[in-house]
Amino acid sequence: MVLAIAAPAGAQTQAGWGLPQLMATLARVKSASAQFVERKTLHVLDAPLVSSGTLLYVAPDQVEKITVLPERERIAISGDKLTIEGGTSDRPRTLSLANAPEIAAFVESIRATLAGDLPALDRFYRVELAGGPSSWQLLLMPRAEKLAQLVRLIRISGSGEKITAVETDEADGDRSEMSVAEDVHER
Amino acid sequence: MNADRRPTLAVWLLGLALCAIVVARTGLSTDMAAFLPRAPSAAQQVLVDQVRSGVASRLLLLGIEGAPPETLVMLSRDVGERLRPLDAFLSVNNGADEGLAGERDFFWDHRYLLSPAVDAERFTVAGLHAALVNDLRLLRTPLGALVKRTLPADPTGESLALLDAVAGGERPRARDGIWLSPDESRAILVVETRAAGLDLDTQARGLAAIGEAFVATRRAVPGADAARLLQSGPPVFAVRTRATMERDAMRFSLLATAIVAGLLLFAYRSLRVLLLGLIPVLSGALAGFAAVALGFGFVHGITLGFGVTLIGEAVDYSVYLFTQTAPGSSPTETLRRIWATLRLGMLTSVAGFAVMLFSSFAGFAQLGLFSITGLIVALAVVRWVLVRLLPADFVAPAAPLFAAPLLMLMRASRWLRGGLALLVLGALLALAFHRGSFWQEDIASLSPVPAADQQLDRALRAAIGAPDVRYLVVLSEKDEQAALTTSEGVADLLQPLIVEGALRGFDAPHRYLPSEAIQRARQAALPDGAGLTARLRDALAGLPFRADTFDPFLRDAAAAKTAPLLTRAALPPTLALKLDALLFARDGASIAALPLQSVSDPKRVAAAVAALARPDVSFVDLKQESDRLLSAYEREAGLLAILGSVAVLLLLTVSLRSPSPVLAVALPLAASVLVTAALITSGGAKLSIFDVLGLSLTVAIGSNYSLFFERQSREPEHRERSIASLGLANLCTVCGFGILSLSGIPVLHDIGATVAVGTFLSLIFSAILNPAGGARSTVSR
Repeated sequence: MVLAIAAPAGAQTQAGWGLPQLMATLARVKSASAQFVERKTLHVLDAPLVSSGTLLYVAPDQVEKITVLPERERIAISGDKLTIEGGTSDRPRTLSLANAPEIAAFVESIRATLAGDLPALDRFYRVELAGGPSSWQLLLMPRAEKLAQLVRLIRISGSGEKITAVETDEADGDRSEMSVAEDVHER
Repeated sequence: MNADRRPTLAVWLLGLALCAIVVARTGLSTDMAAFLPRAPSAAQQVLVDQVRSGVASRLLLLGIEGAPPETLVMLSRDVGERLRPLDAFLSVNNGADEGLAGERDFFWDHRYLLSPAVDAERFTVAGLHAALVNDLRLLRTPLGALVKRTLPADPTGESLALLDAVAGGERPRARDGIWLSPDESRAILVVETRAAGLDLDTQARGLAAIGEAFVATRRAVPGADAARLLQSGPPVFAVRTRATMERDAMRFSLLATAIVAGLLLFAYRSLRVLLLGLIPVLSGALAGFAAVALGFGFVHGITLGFGVTLIGEAVDYSVYLFTQTAPGSSPTETLRRIWATLRLGMLTSVAGFAVMLFSSFAGFAQLGLFSITGLIVALAVVRWVLVRLLPADFVAPAAPLFAAPLLMLMRASRWLRGGLALLVLGALLALAFHRGSFWQEDIASLSPVPAADQQLDRALRAAIGAPDVRYLVVLSEKDEQAALTTSEGVADLLQPLIVEGALRGFDAPHRYLPSEAIQRARQAALPDGAGLTARLRDALAGLPFRADTFDPFLRDAAAAKTAPLLTRAALPPTLALKLDALLFARDGASIAALPLQSVSDPKRVAAAVAALARPDVSFVDLKQESDRLLSAYEREAGLLAILGSVAVLLLLTVSLRSPSPVLAVALPLAASVLVTAALITSGGAKLSIFDVLGLSLTVAIGSNYSLFFERQSREPEHRERSIASLGLANLCTVCGFGILSLSGIPVLHDIGATVAVGTFLSLIFSAILNPAGGARSTVSR
């Protein structure tokens, strides 16, 4: 089933290289860190929200997003748990991803890509691949109707085993673009 | 028919007809509460109320197992969608959003009256600014996509806070939002039925509808052929118990009747004698049911099941009369000879059964009344009806087969007495060295619900993070508003304890229906339209929000400020039911219950509640209450058993007028009670209340055997017939009670097994210890 989805995408890519190869490349990364700049354009806001900080990844399922600007905040995802801390003096807020499928879908779009976990991506999205090993683009289109009411398309761009950008088109026209500059990989 | 017997028979038939009319007009009850604790204290009353009428009694717990987790999720979703439209169910919750829609709408619509965070501070420029800054922060997180939807109408986040509080405590494990057990082997659904828990016919139809929906679901979802549906919860238990009870009562009555009839047929080889023999039994049973119907207004299913035993016990009287009528003598002569013994035997049985009338179990009082009436009527029918129906030259076979083993025991009694002494000594030692307490310590053991079902229920409850409530704060006030206000006060007391970690959370009636005072205070805290618009404008200064974003908030807040106060009527059905269980009227007072979740430090909570120094606010430990209740019942059962035995002994002493025959009657009984008790508790097993009542019935019934042994005739012919009648009578009793021990319902099983073993031993021990035994009996042969 997974291969059947990958096949048309594979047609646009170089011969002998496709989703399975990309995922295998990504799965070899055991940990990574990167600097990010995120720009959210929301219809409730006059101006875009811009934030920047560090992304950390430890295989297979830990992702941390530490925002430094405009203020310090830490979002940690580990297994089923999402923890948000920072801002003012608020207590850390924890929620279970399994209890919040829509949020889990957002989280998985990045985490499962980092982990090269195609089945996890496939649970939430139809996955298409374009480009080649040195410059690829994963297109994630939500499967569940409820998720589709929130998000239209997630586009993840990368080069080799590195992710370079994540763009999200939400269903209400809001957009978010995150550019990622990865540090040296530890293998 | 001669002139002498006609009036007697007419009275008898008229009596039977009257009894039949009374019985036909009486309803059958299967409510197990009749065999469960009657609750004297306020705390226990809360427990019983929760069980019987509260939301708990309408909750079904469903489990789906036998498939991989992904399939379970699909099955749960599919069956949920099939069940939700059905009229029988108020709500079907499997974790999916659809199951909570009604509650969520309620909390959303009334957020400004319900949210504890609403105060004047919250709607100042500073308060609004802080909330908006926090919103901006949330928009940057993965939660942003969801927050964005409610933001324009609820920038202060009241709805989120409310849902968090209500969903509080432990959330079930889930996959794609669907509840699973922690090991992902089961999907869990919670279904609230529209029908009351005690409306068993409707509940049974609802359960059947769930079964059908699941079959359809299993067909619709691929790879789910092996999936199974598990049902649990009070309605399931009630429906199953009723079915078991009806089946057992029916099946065992038929079986016992068939076996006893078979025995009689074998002994007398005559259908006519068999039918005649059953006349006193059936008359007694009918009269017993009529007495219970008149005394209690209903007949319990267990009483019906117990009626079986009367067949075994009351048929004895016919057996004594038939078998002891030797050729050449008439039944009337036999009756004259054995009447005194028969009557004394009946009276001792009645004395034994009579103590059950004083039991706090309404069910046992019924059993007592049923047995007493049944035995008196059965013997009366033997004395005045049966003997007149028998032809003067009636002769029944002597049935020596039933006498032979007993005669053998009697001949060998000199040696056997030594063995019996050793056996009793062994029983005493076993009882003395019994491991731990004799008593069944778990009140669940009295329940008619099989242990495996109880375990499944606990597992399902634990999986959805809703274990049985053990701790509660209960308060009593003069009216509903006062109760809600006090509930709000108790919540203020508990909140810091949650932060300290003494408990994880609690539920409270004011969460769904705040007191009017609090609702008014919250309305007053909301600024008026123009005021709020101005404050919001100032609060938005320097923030990137679009100016018109919060128009829905201004509109909703203005509406809430002048909205009518919430009443019970505004609650959606699921919450209305929840409130009914948390806030109810009793004896002119309003009672509020606050169930506590995951209490780790009960002492700390109890001390905090005690520090309120309000006698009408109490901390309740339901487990402790039920333990206390159970030990009260055990004390009562023990006391009743002792009183029953004393009554039997007194009756014997008064009737026999000298100590030595009393001793001869009492000794085999004491021995059989000891050995039976040792057998029941062998291997560390525990004694239940029902076992103890069974032991006292053993004394009541067994006394008949030892009486007949003690007062046996000196003529060998009469003697052998008398002993044969005892053997046959005992077999009938053992069969009647023994069959009950096959039942899965503890009360039937325990009493059945104990009495069957006890009465059998009584007969054997009576034969061994009989005063005419030993040397003399061998000589007389």
